[in-house]
Amino acid sequence: MRKAKILIIDDERGFTEMVKLNLESTNRYRVIVENDSQIALETIIRTQPDIILLDVIMPYKEGPDIVYQVRNHPLVQDIPIIFFTATITKNEASSDCGIVGGHYFLAKPSSVEELIACIESHLDD
Amino acid sequence: MQINPGMKRKLSVLVVENNQVDSRMLRGMLEKTTYGSFSLECCECLAKACEALAQHDYDVILLDLNLADSRGLDTLDKIHSKFPHLPIVINTGAYQDNLGLKAITSGAQDYLIKGKYLPYGLSKSLYYAVERKKAEQELKAAYNYLRETQAQLIQAEKINVIGGLASGVAHEVKNPLATIIYGIEFLYTKFEDVEDDQIQVTLKAIHEAATKANRIIKDLLDFASLSALQRKSEDINQVIDHALTLIHHQCDKLSIAIQKRYDETLPLIHIDRNRIEQVILDLTLNAIQSMKKGGQLEIATYQKEYEKEDDGWPGPPSNDFRPGDPVVIVDIADSGSGIGEKLLTKIFDPFFTTKRAEGGVGLGLSIARTIMHNHKGLISIKNRENGAGAQARLIFKV
Repeated sequence: MRKAKILIIDDERGFTEMVKLNLESTNRYRVIVENDSQIALETIIRTQPDIILLDVIMPYKEGPDIVYQVRNHPLVQDIPIIFFTATITKNEASSDCGIVGGHYFLAKPSSVEELIACIESHLDD
Repeated sequence: MQINPGMKRKLSVLVVENNQVDSRMLRGMLEKTTYGSFSLECCECLAKACEALAQHDYDVILLDLNLADSRGLDTLDKIHSKFPHLPIVINTGAYQDNLGLKAITSGAQDYLIKGKYLPYGLSKSLYYAVERKKAEQELKAAYNYLRETQAQLIQAEKINVIGGLASGVAHEVKNPLATIIYGIEFLYTKFEDVEDDQIQVTLKAIHEAATKANRIIKDLLDFASLSALQRKSEDINQVIDHALTLIHHQCDKLSIAIQKRYDETLPLIHIDRNRIEQVILDLTLNAIQSMKKGGQLEIATYQKEYEKEDDGWPGPPSNDFRPGDPVVIVDIADSGSGIGEKLLTKIFDPFFTTKRAEGGVGLGLSIARTIMHNHKGLISIKNRENGAGAQARLIFKV
Protein backbone atom coordinates (compact mmCIF):
# COMPACT_ATOMS: atom_id res chain seq x y z
CA MET A 1 0.00 0.00 0.00
CA ARG A 2 1.32 3.43 -0.89
CA LYS A 3 2.22 5.51 2.13
CA ALA A 4 0.37 8.80 2.36
CA LYS A 5 2.65 11.77 1.91
CA ILE A 6 2.32 14.38 4.67
CA LEU A 7 4.04 17.75 4.50
CA ILE A 8 4.44 19.63 7.76
CA ILE A 9 5.30 23.31 7.56
CA ASP A 10 6.32 24.69 10.96
CA ASP A 11 9.33 26.69 12.17
CA GLU A 12 9.66 24.62 15.39
CA ARG A 13 12.31 22.10 14.36
CA GLY A 14 11.95 19.94 17.45
CA PHE A 15 8.22 19.70 16.96
CA THR A 16 8.38 18.78 13.27
CA GLU A 17 10.96 16.07 14.09
CA MET A 18 8.63 14.59 16.71
CA VAL A 19 5.66 14.62 14.31
CA LYS A 20 7.80 12.90 11.67
CA LEU A 21 9.07 10.24 14.10
CA ASN A 22 5.59 9.48 15.41
CA LEU A 23 3.82 9.37 12.08
CA GLU A 24 6.53 7.39 10.27
CA SER A 25 6.72 4.83 13.09
CA THR A 26 3.19 3.76 12.12
CA ASN A 27 4.52 2.73 8.69
CA ARG A 28 1.52 4.39 7.10
CA TYR A 29 2.93 7.79 6.29
CA ARG A 30 5.91 9.43 4.72
CA VAL A 31 6.55 12.81 6.31
CA ILE A 32 8.33 15.72 4.66
CA VAL A 33 9.38 18.62 6.86
CA GLU A 34 9.69 22.28 5.87
CA ASN A 35 10.86 24.67 8.60
CA ASP A 36 11.28 27.71 6.35
CA SER A 37 7.93 29.27 5.56
CA GLN A 38 9.45 31.49 2.87
CA ILE A 39 10.03 28.54 0.54
CA ALA A 40 6.92 26.61 1.61
CA LEU A 41 5.10 27.02 -1.73
CA GLU A 42 8.10 25.68 -3.71
CA THR A 43 8.30 22.69 -1.37
CA ILE A 44 4.58 22.00 -1.79
CA ILE A 45 4.83 22.14 -5.60
CA ARG A 46 7.96 20.00 -5.64
CA THR A 47 6.74 17.30 -3.23
CA GLN A 48 2.99 17.21 -4.13
CA PRO A 49 1.85 15.97 -0.67
CA ASP A 50 -1.49 14.28 0.03
CA ILE A 51 -2.07 16.60 2.96
CA ILE A 52 -0.44 19.69 4.46
CA LEU A 53 -0.09 20.37 8.20
CA LEU A 54 0.48 24.09 8.51
CA ASP A 55 1.51 26.26 11.44
CA VAL A 56 -0.19 29.66 11.67
CA ILE A 57 2.36 31.99 13.25
CA MET A 58 5.80 31.72 11.65
CA PRO A 59 8.55 34.27 11.02
CA TYR A 60 8.69 35.89 7.54
CA LYS A 61 5.54 34.27 6.17
CA GLU A 62 2.47 33.21 8.14
CA GLY A 63 0.21 30.22 7.55
CA PRO A 64 -2.77 32.10 6.06
CA ASP A 65 -0.48 33.69 3.42
CA ILE A 66 0.67 30.25 2.38
CA VAL A 67 -2.94 29.04 2.13
CA TYR A 68 -3.69 31.97 -0.17
CA GLN A 69 -0.74 31.08 -2.42
CA VAL A 70 -1.69 27.40 -2.51
CA ARG A 71 -5.34 28.03 -3.31
CA ASN A 72 -4.30 30.26 -6.22
CA HIS A 73 -1.78 27.85 -7.71
CA PRO A 74 -3.29 25.40 -10.26
CA LEU A 75 -0.77 22.61 -9.49
CA VAL A 76 -1.50 22.38 -5.77
CA GLN A 77 -4.78 24.18 -5.11
CA ASP A 78 -6.76 21.05 -4.18
CA ILE A 79 -4.43 19.70 -1.53
CA PRO A 80 -6.19 19.60 1.85
CA ILE A 81 -4.62 21.87 4.46
CA ILE A 82 -4.96 21.54 8.24
CA PHE A 83 -3.86 24.40 10.45
CA PHE A 84 -1.89 22.85 13.28
CA THR A 85 -1.51 25.64 15.77
CA ALA A 86 -1.13 26.79 19.33
CA THR A 87 -3.08 29.97 18.62
CA ILE A 88 -6.38 28.30 19.41
CA THR A 89 -7.38 26.05 22.27
CA LYS A 90 -8.95 22.65 22.05
CA ASN A 91 -12.23 24.15 23.15
CA GLU A 92 -12.16 26.51 20.22
CA ALA A 93 -11.19 23.86 17.67
CA SER A 94 -12.49 20.62 19.10
CA SER A 95 -9.55 18.31 18.68
CA ASP A 96 -11.35 16.16 16.12
CA CYS A 97 -10.40 18.56 13.38
CA GLY A 98 -12.85 21.36 13.99
CA ILE A 99 -13.56 23.94 11.37
CA VAL A 100 -12.92 27.54 12.36
CA GLY A 101 -13.66 30.29 9.88
CA GLY A 102 -13.83 27.82 6.98
CA HIS A 103 -10.45 26.21 7.74
CA TYR A 104 -9.60 22.95 9.41
CA PHE A 105 -7.82 23.38 12.69
CA LEU A 106 -5.99 21.05 15.04
CA ALA A 107 -4.94 22.57 18.36
CA LYS A 108 -1.42 22.15 19.69
CA PRO A 109 -0.78 20.17 21.72
CA SER A 110 -2.97 17.30 20.57
CA SER A 111 -2.16 13.64 21.08
CA VAL A 112 -0.65 11.57 18.26
CA GLU A 113 -3.90 9.64 18.19
CA GLU A 114 -5.88 12.83 17.56
CA LEU A 115 -3.42 13.93 14.89
CA ILE A 116 -3.73 10.60 13.06
CA ALA A 117 -7.54 10.65 13.31
CA CYS A 118 -7.53 14.13 11.79
CA ILE A 119 -5.19 13.16 8.94
CA GLU A 120 -7.20 10.03 8.17
CA SER A 121 -10.46 11.93 8.01
CA HIS A 122 -8.97 14.15 5.30
CA LEU A 123 -7.28 11.35 3.36
CA ASP A 124 -10.69 9.71 3.02
CA ASP A 125 -12.10 12.83 1.37
CA MET B 1 -35.62 62.01 58.17
CA GLN B 2 -35.99 65.64 57.29
CA ILE B 3 -36.43 67.73 60.45
CA ASN B 4 -39.00 70.40 59.91
CA PRO B 5 -39.07 72.72 62.95
CA GLY B 6 -42.85 72.80 62.85
CA MET B 7 -43.35 69.04 62.51
CA LYS B 8 -40.81 67.01 64.37
CA ARG B 9 -41.26 63.29 64.71
CA LYS B 10 -41.73 62.07 68.28
CA LEU B 11 -38.49 60.53 69.51
CA SER B 12 -38.45 57.48 71.70
CA VAL B 13 -35.68 57.87 74.28
CA LEU B 14 -34.16 55.32 76.61
CA VAL B 15 -32.87 57.10 79.69
CA VAL B 16 -30.18 55.11 81.50
CA GLU B 17 -29.81 56.82 84.84
CA ASN B 18 -29.22 55.40 88.32
CA ASN B 19 -30.41 58.49 90.15
CA GLN B 20 -34.19 58.55 90.25
CA VAL B 21 -34.32 62.24 91.01
CA ASP B 22 -32.34 62.95 87.84
CA SER B 23 -34.66 60.66 85.86
CA ARG B 24 -37.70 62.56 87.07
CA MET B 25 -36.04 65.84 86.22
CA LEU B 26 -35.25 64.71 82.70
CA ARG B 27 -38.79 63.54 82.20
CA GLY B 28 -40.08 66.89 83.37
CA MET B 29 -37.75 68.79 81.06
CA LEU B 30 -38.61 66.77 77.99
CA GLU B 31 -42.32 66.92 78.68
CA LYS B 32 -42.39 70.67 78.75
CA THR B 33 -39.88 71.35 76.01
CA THR B 34 -40.91 73.58 73.13
CA TYR B 35 -38.60 71.71 70.74
CA GLY B 36 -40.09 68.40 69.52
CA SER B 37 -41.76 65.72 71.59
CA PHE B 38 -40.52 62.61 73.35
CA SER B 39 -41.59 59.32 74.81
CA LEU B 40 -39.31 58.13 77.61
CA GLU B 41 -38.41 54.88 79.27
CA CYS B 42 -35.96 54.72 82.12
CA CYS B 43 -33.51 52.03 83.27
CA GLU B 44 -31.31 52.16 86.34
CA CYS B 45 -28.42 50.01 85.29
CA LEU B 46 -26.53 48.81 82.23
CA ALA B 47 -27.86 45.26 82.34
CA LYS B 48 -31.47 46.45 82.30
CA ALA B 49 -30.69 48.96 79.54
CA CYS B 50 -29.25 46.20 77.35
CA GLU B 51 -32.34 44.09 77.98
CA ALA B 52 -34.65 46.94 77.03
CA LEU B 53 -32.60 47.77 73.92
CA ALA B 54 -32.76 44.16 72.77
CA GLN B 55 -36.54 44.10 73.14
CA HIS B 56 -37.65 47.54 71.93
CA ASP B 57 -36.74 50.03 69.26
CA TYR B 58 -35.48 53.38 70.52
CA ASP B 59 -34.35 56.41 68.55
CA VAL B 60 -31.71 57.57 71.00
CA ILE B 61 -30.08 56.70 74.34
CA LEU B 62 -29.52 59.27 77.06
CA LEU B 63 -26.78 57.68 79.11
CA ASP B 64 -25.35 58.37 82.53
CA LEU B 65 -21.81 57.03 82.73
CA ASN B 66 -21.75 56.06 86.39
CA LEU B 67 -24.19 53.24 87.06
CA ALA B 68 -24.38 50.55 89.69
CA ASP B 69 -22.96 47.91 87.33
CA SER B 70 -20.61 50.00 85.18
CA ARG B 71 -18.61 53.19 85.50
CA GLY B 72 -16.98 55.81 83.30
CA LEU B 73 -16.37 55.42 79.58
CA ASP B 74 -16.65 51.66 79.97
CA THR B 75 -20.40 52.18 80.16
CA LEU B 76 -20.37 53.92 76.79
CA ASP B 77 -18.06 51.34 75.19
CA LYS B 78 -20.19 48.43 76.34
CA ILE B 79 -23.47 49.83 75.11
CA HIS B 80 -21.98 51.24 71.88
CA SER B 81 -20.33 47.98 70.92
CA LYS B 82 -23.60 46.09 71.45
CA PHE B 83 -25.85 48.61 69.68
CA PRO B 84 -23.57 50.49 67.27
CA HIS B 85 -26.48 51.76 65.16
CA LEU B 86 -28.08 53.76 68.02
CA PRO B 87 -27.11 57.38 68.78
CA ILE B 88 -25.95 57.92 72.37
CA VAL B 89 -25.97 61.22 74.25
CA ILE B 90 -23.98 61.20 77.49
CA ASN B 91 -25.67 62.86 80.47
CA THR B 92 -23.27 62.94 83.41
CA GLY B 93 -22.44 64.81 86.58
CA ALA B 94 -18.74 64.26 86.07
CA TYR B 95 -17.41 67.35 84.38
CA GLN B 96 -14.04 66.63 82.81
CA ASP B 97 -13.09 68.20 79.53
CA ASN B 98 -10.94 65.27 78.47
CA LEU B 99 -13.65 62.77 79.24
CA GLY B 100 -16.08 64.65 77.00
CA LEU B 101 -13.74 64.54 74.02
CA LYS B 102 -12.90 60.92 74.68
CA ALA B 103 -16.60 60.06 74.79
CA ILE B 104 -17.17 61.76 71.43
CA THR B 105 -14.25 59.94 69.79
CA SER B 106 -15.57 56.70 71.29
CA GLY B 107 -18.86 57.12 69.45
CA ALA B 108 -21.07 59.34 71.63
CA GLN B 109 -23.00 62.05 69.80
CA ASP B 110 -22.89 64.63 72.61
CA TYR B 111 -21.60 65.01 76.17
CA LEU B 112 -23.99 66.90 78.43
CA ILE B 113 -23.25 67.94 82.03
CA LYS B 114 -26.18 67.62 84.42
CA GLY B 115 -27.53 70.97 85.53
CA LYS B 116 -25.82 72.83 82.70
CA TYR B 117 -28.57 72.68 80.12
CA LEU B 118 -32.16 73.77 79.66
CA PRO B 119 -35.04 71.76 78.18
CA TYR B 120 -34.60 73.39 74.78
CA GLY B 121 -30.87 72.57 74.63
CA LEU B 122 -31.42 68.99 75.76
CA SER B 123 -34.15 68.40 73.18
CA LYS B 124 -32.08 69.84 70.39
CA SER B 125 -29.11 67.73 71.40
CA LEU B 126 -31.25 64.57 71.17
CA TYR B 127 -32.74 65.45 67.78
CA TYR B 128 -29.36 66.45 66.39
CA ALA B 129 -27.85 63.24 67.71
CA VAL B 130 -30.41 61.19 65.78
CA GLU B 131 -29.78 63.14 62.56
CA ARG B 132 -26.00 63.02 62.91
CA LYS B 133 -26.09 59.29 63.52
CA LYS B 134 -28.23 58.79 60.46
CA ALA B 135 -25.84 60.84 58.32
CA GLU B 136 -22.90 58.95 59.82
CA GLN B 137 -24.44 55.62 58.90
CA GLU B 138 -25.21 56.74 55.37
CA LEU B 139 -21.65 57.92 55.05
CA LYS B 140 -20.40 54.62 56.37
CA ALA B 141 -22.56 52.69 53.89
CA ALA B 142 -21.34 54.88 51.02
CA TYR B 143 -17.76 54.39 52.16
CA ASN B 144 -18.19 50.63 52.34
CA TYR B 145 -19.77 50.62 48.90
CA LEU B 146 -16.87 52.65 47.51
CA ARG B 147 -14.35 50.34 49.15
CA GLU B 148 -16.13 47.34 47.68
CA THR B 149 -16.26 48.96 44.23
CA GLN B 150 -12.59 49.83 44.48
CA ALA B 151 -11.81 46.23 45.40
CA GLN B 152 -13.84 45.04 42.41
CA LEU B 153 -12.03 47.43 40.09
CA ILE B 154 -8.65 46.30 41.35
CA GLN B 155 -9.80 42.72 40.89
CA ALA B 156 -11.01 43.41 37.35
CA GLU B 157 -7.72 45.09 36.51
CA LYS B 158 -5.78 42.19 37.98
CA ILE B 159 -7.80 39.77 35.89
CA ASN B 160 -7.20 41.87 32.79
CA VAL B 161 -3.45 41.94 33.32
CA ILE B 162 -3.27 38.27 34.16
CA GLY B 163 -5.47 37.46 31.18
CA GLY B 164 -3.28 39.35 28.74
CA LEU B 165 -0.07 37.99 30.18
CA ALA B 166 -1.45 34.49 30.39
CA SER B 167 -2.52 34.16 26.80
CA GLY B 168 0.82 35.51 25.58
CA VAL B 169 2.86 33.16 27.71
CA ALA B 170 0.54 30.22 27.19
CA HIS B 171 0.81 30.37 23.41
CA GLU B 172 4.59 30.52 23.60
CA VAL B 173 4.70 27.55 25.95
CA LYS B 174 2.30 25.38 23.97
CA ASN B 175 4.73 24.90 21.09
CA PRO B 176 7.59 23.41 23.13
CA LEU B 177 5.02 21.47 25.14
CA ALA B 178 3.68 19.89 21.95
CA THR B 179 7.23 18.80 21.13
CA ILE B 180 7.66 17.22 24.57
CA ILE B 181 4.33 15.39 24.41
CA TYR B 182 5.02 14.00 20.93
CA GLY B 183 8.53 13.05 22.02
CA ILE B 184 7.21 11.06 24.94
CA GLU B 185 4.53 9.40 22.86
CA PHE B 186 7.19 8.29 20.40
CA LEU B 187 9.41 6.94 23.19
CA TYR B 188 6.42 5.09 24.65
CA THR B 189 5.91 3.16 21.42
CA LYS B 190 9.66 2.66 21.01
CA PHE B 191 10.13 1.23 24.50
CA GLU B 192 6.80 -0.53 24.73
CA ASP B 193 8.37 -3.99 24.93
CA VAL B 194 11.42 -3.04 26.97
CA GLU B 195 11.15 -4.43 30.47
CA ASP B 196 13.07 -1.73 32.24
CA ASP B 197 11.18 -0.21 35.15
CA GLN B 198 13.38 2.86 35.28
CA ILE B 199 12.61 3.77 31.67
CA GLN B 200 8.87 3.23 32.14
CA VAL B 201 8.83 5.23 35.41
CA THR B 202 10.79 8.07 33.81
CA LEU B 203 8.53 8.23 30.79
CA LYS B 204 5.45 8.17 32.96
CA ALA B 205 6.77 11.00 35.14
CA ILE B 206 7.59 13.18 32.12
CA HIS B 207 4.23 12.43 30.55
CA GLU B 208 2.36 13.35 33.74
CA ALA B 209 4.37 16.56 34.14
CA ALA B 210 3.70 17.60 30.54
CA THR B 211 -0.01 16.79 30.90
CA LYS B 212 -0.19 18.86 34.06
CA ALA B 213 1.58 21.78 32.39
CA ASN B 214 -0.87 21.49 29.53
CA ARG B 215 -3.81 21.62 31.94
CA ILE B 216 -2.46 24.76 33.61
CA ILE B 217 -2.07 26.42 30.25
CA LYS B 218 -5.57 25.44 29.27
CA ASP B 219 -6.89 27.01 32.48
CA LEU B 220 -4.93 30.18 31.82
CA LEU B 221 -6.22 30.44 28.28
CA ASP B 222 -9.76 29.78 29.44
CA PHE B 223 -9.23 32.59 31.87
CA ALA B 224 -8.00 34.92 29.16
CA SER B 225 -10.68 34.12 26.61
CA LEU B 226 -13.74 34.28 28.82
CA SER B 227 -15.35 37.29 27.27
CA ALA B 228 -16.45 35.57 24.08
CA LEU B 229 -19.63 33.75 25.05
CA GLN B 230 -21.74 31.64 22.72
CA ARG B 231 -25.15 32.09 24.28
CA LYS B 232 -28.32 30.22 23.44
CA SER B 233 -31.62 29.55 25.20
CA GLU B 234 -30.93 26.57 27.46
CA ASP B 235 -32.63 24.45 30.10
CA ILE B 236 -30.39 24.84 33.15
CA ASN B 237 -31.57 21.49 34.58
CA GLN B 238 -30.17 19.72 31.52
CA VAL B 239 -26.90 21.61 31.80
CA ILE B 240 -26.57 20.54 35.45
CA ASP B 241 -27.45 16.94 34.61
CA HIS B 242 -24.74 16.83 31.97
CA ALA B 243 -22.19 18.19 34.43
CA LEU B 244 -23.28 15.58 36.96
CA THR B 245 -22.61 12.72 34.55
CA LEU B 246 -18.96 13.77 34.70
CA ILE B 247 -18.72 13.51 38.48
CA HIS B 248 -20.96 10.50 39.09
CA HIS B 249 -18.08 8.12 39.24
CA GLN B 250 -16.24 10.18 41.84
CA CYS B 251 -19.37 10.51 43.97
CA ASP B 252 -19.90 6.74 43.93
CA LYS B 253 -16.30 6.16 44.91
CA LEU B 254 -16.53 8.51 47.91
CA SER B 255 -20.05 7.41 48.95
CA ILE B 256 -21.54 10.81 48.21
CA ALA B 257 -25.28 10.81 47.59
CA ILE B 258 -26.58 13.30 45.03
CA GLN B 259 -29.96 14.79 45.86
CA LYS B 260 -31.62 16.78 43.10
CA ARG B 261 -34.58 19.10 43.58
CA TYR B 262 -35.32 20.62 40.19
CA ASP B 263 -38.13 22.95 39.28
CA GLU B 264 -39.27 21.32 36.04
CA THR B 265 -41.19 24.42 34.95
CA LEU B 266 -38.15 26.73 34.79
CA PRO B 267 -38.01 29.13 31.85
CA LEU B 268 -35.11 28.75 29.41
CA ILE B 269 -32.20 31.06 30.14
CA HIS B 270 -29.76 32.69 27.75
CA ILE B 271 -26.37 31.17 28.56
CA ASP B 272 -23.19 29.73 27.08
CA ARG B 273 -23.87 26.10 27.89
CA ASN B 274 -20.24 24.97 28.00
CA ARG B 275 -19.15 27.81 30.24
CA ILE B 276 -21.99 27.37 32.72
CA GLU B 277 -21.36 23.65 32.77
CA GLN B 278 -17.75 24.50 33.62
CA VAL B 279 -18.97 26.65 36.55
CA ILE B 280 -21.25 23.91 37.86
CA LEU B 281 -18.55 21.30 37.46
CA ASP B 282 -16.11 23.45 39.37
CA LEU B 283 -18.54 24.06 42.23
CA THR B 284 -19.54 20.40 42.47
CA LEU B 285 -15.91 19.27 42.36
CA ASN B 286 -15.10 21.66 45.21
CA ALA B 287 -18.05 20.25 47.11
CA ILE B 288 -16.89 16.68 46.51
CA GLN B 289 -13.37 17.51 47.64
CA SER B 290 -14.74 18.73 50.96
CA MET B 291 -16.55 15.41 51.54
CA LYS B 292 -13.71 12.92 51.39
CA LYS B 293 -15.48 10.71 53.94
CA GLY B 294 -18.78 10.71 52.11
CA GLY B 295 -21.80 12.95 52.49
CA GLN B 296 -24.58 14.55 50.56
CA LEU B 297 -24.48 16.84 47.53
CA GLU B 298 -27.74 18.76 47.19
CA ILE B 299 -28.63 20.60 44.00
CA ALA B 300 -31.77 22.68 43.74
CA THR B 301 -33.12 24.88 40.96
CA TYR B 302 -36.02 27.28 41.31
CA GLN B 303 -37.38 30.55 40.03
CA LYS B 304 -38.38 33.54 42.07
CA GLU B 305 -38.42 37.30 42.11
CA TYR B 306 -35.08 38.80 42.97
CA GLU B 307 -34.79 40.25 46.47
CA LYS B 308 -32.00 42.25 47.97
CA GLU B 309 -31.22 39.37 50.34
CA ASP B 310 -30.34 37.26 47.31
CA ASP B 311 -27.42 39.57 46.69
CA GLY B 312 -24.16 37.71 46.64
CA TRP B 313 -23.82 36.74 50.23
CA PRO B 314 -21.19 37.96 51.19
CA GLY B 315 -20.24 39.69 47.94
CA PRO B 316 -21.01 43.25 46.92
CA PRO B 317 -24.49 44.30 45.81
CA SER B 318 -25.27 43.81 42.15
CA ASN B 319 -26.16 46.61 39.80
CA ASP B 320 -27.60 44.17 37.29
CA PHE B 321 -30.58 43.06 39.36
CA ARG B 322 -33.48 45.00 40.79
CA PRO B 323 -35.88 43.72 43.41
CA GLY B 324 -38.75 42.02 41.63
CA ASP B 325 -36.73 40.92 38.57
CA PRO B 326 -37.54 37.31 37.67
CA VAL B 327 -34.47 35.12 38.25
CA VAL B 328 -33.49 31.47 38.06
CA ILE B 329 -31.42 30.22 40.99
CA VAL B 330 -29.16 27.19 41.28
CA ASP B 331 -28.14 26.18 44.81
CA ILE B 332 -25.36 23.65 45.30
CA ALA B 333 -24.87 22.56 48.91
CA ASP B 334 -22.56 19.99 50.47
CA SER B 335 -22.29 18.38 53.88
CA GLY B 336 -18.52 18.73 53.96
CA SER B 337 -16.06 20.59 56.10
CA GLY B 338 -17.16 24.11 55.12
CA ILE B 339 -14.82 27.04 54.44
CA GLY B 340 -12.81 28.94 57.04
CA GLU B 341 -14.32 32.40 57.57
CA LYS B 342 -11.02 34.07 56.70
CA LEU B 343 -10.78 32.17 53.43
CA LEU B 344 -14.29 33.14 52.33
CA THR B 345 -13.17 36.58 51.21
CA LYS B 346 -10.31 35.16 49.14
CA ILE B 347 -11.77 32.16 47.40
CA PHE B 348 -12.57 34.08 44.22
CA ASP B 349 -9.07 35.60 43.95
CA PRO B 350 -6.99 34.35 41.01
CA PHE B 351 -4.27 31.91 42.07
CA PHE B 352 -5.73 31.48 45.55
CA THR B 353 -5.97 27.79 46.36
CA THR B 354 -5.98 25.53 49.39
CA LYS B 355 -5.07 22.62 47.13
CA ARG B 356 -1.63 23.72 45.92
CA ALA B 357 -0.12 20.43 47.11
CA GLU B 358 -2.66 18.49 45.04
CA GLY B 359 -1.80 20.45 41.91
CA GLY B 360 -4.43 23.19 42.23
CA VAL B 361 -3.67 26.35 40.26
CA GLY B 362 -6.27 28.50 42.00
CA LEU B 363 -8.13 29.66 38.92
CA GLY B 364 -11.30 27.56 39.17
CA LEU B 365 -13.54 29.90 41.18
CA SER B 366 -11.94 32.96 39.69
CA ILE B 367 -12.90 31.67 36.24
CA ALA B 368 -16.36 30.73 37.53
CA ARG B 369 -16.92 34.24 38.80
CA THR B 370 -15.74 35.80 35.55
CA ILE B 371 -18.06 33.50 33.59
CA MET B 372 -21.01 34.45 35.79
CA HIS B 373 -20.04 38.11 35.58
CA ASN B 374 -19.98 37.91 31.78
CA HIS B 375 -23.48 36.42 31.91
CA LYS B 376 -24.51 39.33 34.12
CA GLY B 377 -25.30 36.74 36.74
CA LEU B 378 -24.20 36.32 40.33
CA ILE B 379 -22.17 33.69 42.12
CA SER B 380 -21.70 33.48 45.86
CA ILE B 381 -20.48 30.96 48.37
CA LYS B 382 -21.11 30.80 52.09
CA ASN B 383 -21.10 28.30 54.89
CA ARG B 384 -24.46 26.71 55.66
CA GLU B 385 -26.20 28.14 58.66
CA ASN B 386 -26.31 24.92 60.61
CA GLY B 387 -22.53 24.71 60.29
CA ALA B 388 -22.54 21.58 58.16
CA GLY B 389 -20.80 22.31 54.87
CA ALA B 390 -20.85 25.07 52.32
CA GLN B 391 -23.41 26.34 49.86
CA ALA B 392 -22.90 27.99 46.48
CA ARG B 393 -25.58 30.00 44.69
CA LEU B 394 -25.83 30.99 41.05
CA ILE B 395 -28.38 33.61 40.01
CA PHE B 396 -29.34 34.05 36.36
CA LYS B 397 -31.46 36.63 34.65
CA VAL B 398 -34.53 35.30 32.91
